Amino acid sequence: MTSAIPYLQALSNLHAHAQPALRPADLSRSALLAQYHPDNADNASTLLQIGPSRGQPCHPRLAALLQSNALIDGFDLAGAEQRSTEVLVIGGGGAGAAAALTAARSGAEVILASKLRLGDSNTVMAEGGIQAALAANDSPQQHFDDAMRGGHQAANAQLLAQMASDAPGVIRWLIELGMHFDLEDPFTDGGKLRYKQAGGCSQPRILCYRDYTGLEMMRVLRETVELEPAITQLNRCPVVELLSHEDGSCAGAVLYDLEYQRFIVVSARQTILATGGCGRLHLQDFPTSNHYGATADGLVLAYRIGAGLRDMDAFQYHPTGVAWPQRLRGGLISEAARSGGALLVNGLGERFVEELAPRDVVTAAILRECAAGRGIERNGQIGVFLDTRQLGADLASRLPALQHLADKCGIDPSREPMLIYPTLHYQNGGVIIDGNGQTAVPGLLCAGEITGGIHGRNRLMGNALLDILAFGRRAGRQAARLAQAARHKSTLPPQRGGIEHVYRWQRQLALAGLDSSQQAPLLYPGDARLKLQRPTGPRV
Amino acid sequence: MSETIRISIDGKVVDAAAGNSILHTRLQGEEALTANIGCMGQGVCGSCRCLVRKAGERSAETRLACETVVEDGMQVSFIDYYLPDHVHRYRPQDLRDGWQALPQLQQTFPEISQCRHCSGCDRACPRHIPVQQGIALANSGQLQAAAALFDACIMCNLCTLACPENIRPNHVGLYLRRAQAIQNLRPGDLLRRLEQQARGEMAINTLADNTRSEA
Repeated sequence: MTSAIPYLQALSNLHAHAQPALRPADLSRSALLAQYHPDNADNASTLLQIGPSRGQPCHPRLAALLQSNALIDGFDLAGAEQRSTEVLVIGGGGAGAAAALTAARSGAEVILASKLRLGDSNTVMAEGGIQAALAANDSPQQHFDDAMRGGHQAANAQLLAQMASDAPGVIRWLIELGMHFDLEDPFTDGGKLRYKQAGGCSQPRILCYRDYTGLEMMRVLRETVELEPAITQLNRCPVVELLSHEDGSCAGAVLYDLEYQRFIVVSARQTILATGGCGRLHLQDFPTSNHYGATADGLVLAYRIGAGLRDMDAFQYHPTGVAWPQRLRGGLISEAARSGGALLVNGLGERFVEELAPRDVVTAAILRECAAGRGIERNGQIGVFLDTRQLGADLASRLPALQHLADKCGIDPSREPMLIYPTLHYQNGGVIIDGNGQTAVPGLLCAGEITGGIHGRNRLMGNALLDILAFGRRAGRQAARLAQAARHKSTLPPQRGGIEHVYRWQRQLALAGLDSSQQAPLLYPGDARLKLQRPTGPRV
Repeated sequence: MSETIRISIDGKVVDAAAGNSILHTRLQGEEALTANIGCMGQGVCGSCRCLVRKAGERSAETRLACETVVEDGMQVSFIDYYLPDHVHRYRPQDLRDGWQALPQLQQTFPEISQCRHCSGCDRACPRHIPVQQGIALANSGQLQAAAALFDACIMCNLCTLACPENIRPNHVGLYLRRAQAIQNLRPGDLLRRLEQQARGEMAINTLADNTRSEA
């Protein structure tokens, strides 16, 4: 435990300066990241031993899940309920909803399966906003350049360019579904949109709805999906395995229906995984801002069936998670606070980083302050101050989510600072896709946080909500197109697949000497495991 | 803070640490939670809706478990979600014509004129939205004012459960909000950018030098 400055002393240090001075930077950004970013810790990376991306670096906790055995065997398929559909979408967040809607509107019949309920996802928790280059002096090119730089030049340029170009169309699509955006002036020019500044961006480009953009987006998307006759919703049906044909292509998935405690085999012409990220794995033992469902399920299944991964050692630790009180630890304080002028201050009452530098830089700077003993300790929790006093009196109307959170912390943000510490927020890497969301496995597409390559090794604020919609729509359109082409060839329902890929995987596990008693996907975080019910009695 | 508190969750008595939420207390059980859990404390998803009766009180209140701090003797009962068999179907493209707003609202949600003013919805709302007033405003044709009241709704559906007339007030609120955006929001900057893109302008050069110094 490193030393830290007691809360009350830090508070008097803060109040001693009307304008806190910026500590001179003695480390370059690259040195700061190398020494203090959690991705660069000694124990934060190992090499994958089997699978299509073997030899690639990956976080050890994730590698253990990726290199584990299936939850089911062939017997489980025998007594399962059978369903078939043209397009199966797995995941009930923004990417899944956008994919399902777009596939349905392209004329496909769709099943949308989710582990919890449709809408239960990180999307609904997103606060800050969505990037779209609309200003007269802005352009998709500048949007692309900023994101490329922010991602340390590691992004797939084609995917990123598509996302930046898709942005205006995505905003139009959202408005057509009935989503609101904050306006500078509702009476001029059809509603003049408010732009907010994001870290690492050359100019203000964030569109938002207050500071609960994700809630406004998801409630509209969910309602549209629920009222769409071509989509069948299967809530509380987590995916336990994918299905494969003999040629290695994806044939749908096996779900576990929690309501009836039985397996469902869904045969699908095209399957879209939109299962999100892995924050609940608490990589590097960090708290997380993520939803309960963020347990890397889709990632595990995509890898097992043969889709390649990239950047599985690059994660985003959001600079400002709640550090005190303990029961709210890890909860997100949106970048909108720093965008609006909130400052980061250490225990000596000094600023120590440009608040709107890219997120990884700000996070590394905070961790450095804490490591150097300039952090602040309150009831055993360590962090630095987020000084929100500059945000002004209209905080409750402009940033109601922040006000609501501060109320729960018992803090008046117009008078006292909040204690913050970085929180695991986003999976930068993921499944390798092409411009339509297709993976290396025919019949399997991915969209949203499960994918890699769009953001390189560090995502900028506002590009996740854009990513899920831009690529959710692309994947949905492509899946519908491919499903219809297959239907023109044969009017029979999609053929039933099996789990031959699982048996191949088990042989690889054995050859590599890996422990095959470990099973994944995890489905639910924490130590308690879901018991899959199977018919009792001897198997004949 | 080592004081131990006992609460009952769905009929099972559990020990809880003071200062913890009901949800975090429930998470410490031995079984994996597969429902009524989501955003883990942000209070935006509505998954963890429950009935809470405090020790010594007669009536139960609807709450979000992730935002409710435990108190000794609390009784908690989580409320299941199910897909309703009765929904009010409409398509977003049907809402484009603002001149049809009133007859359309009555066609889509015919029950709203049946409101009994029982305020069950108001009491049920964990966000303290004046739901009943929203329905009254909608009935009187003040659609913008009604829509504005549902700004902070998290769609937990507790008002829908509470309504004896099947009005589904939160869905009415969302319908009105959506209609407003669909009819009115035409930002000039967005129109101009879409038109530029349609003309083939604004293409991205992926090979441009974007390496500004990252010192």
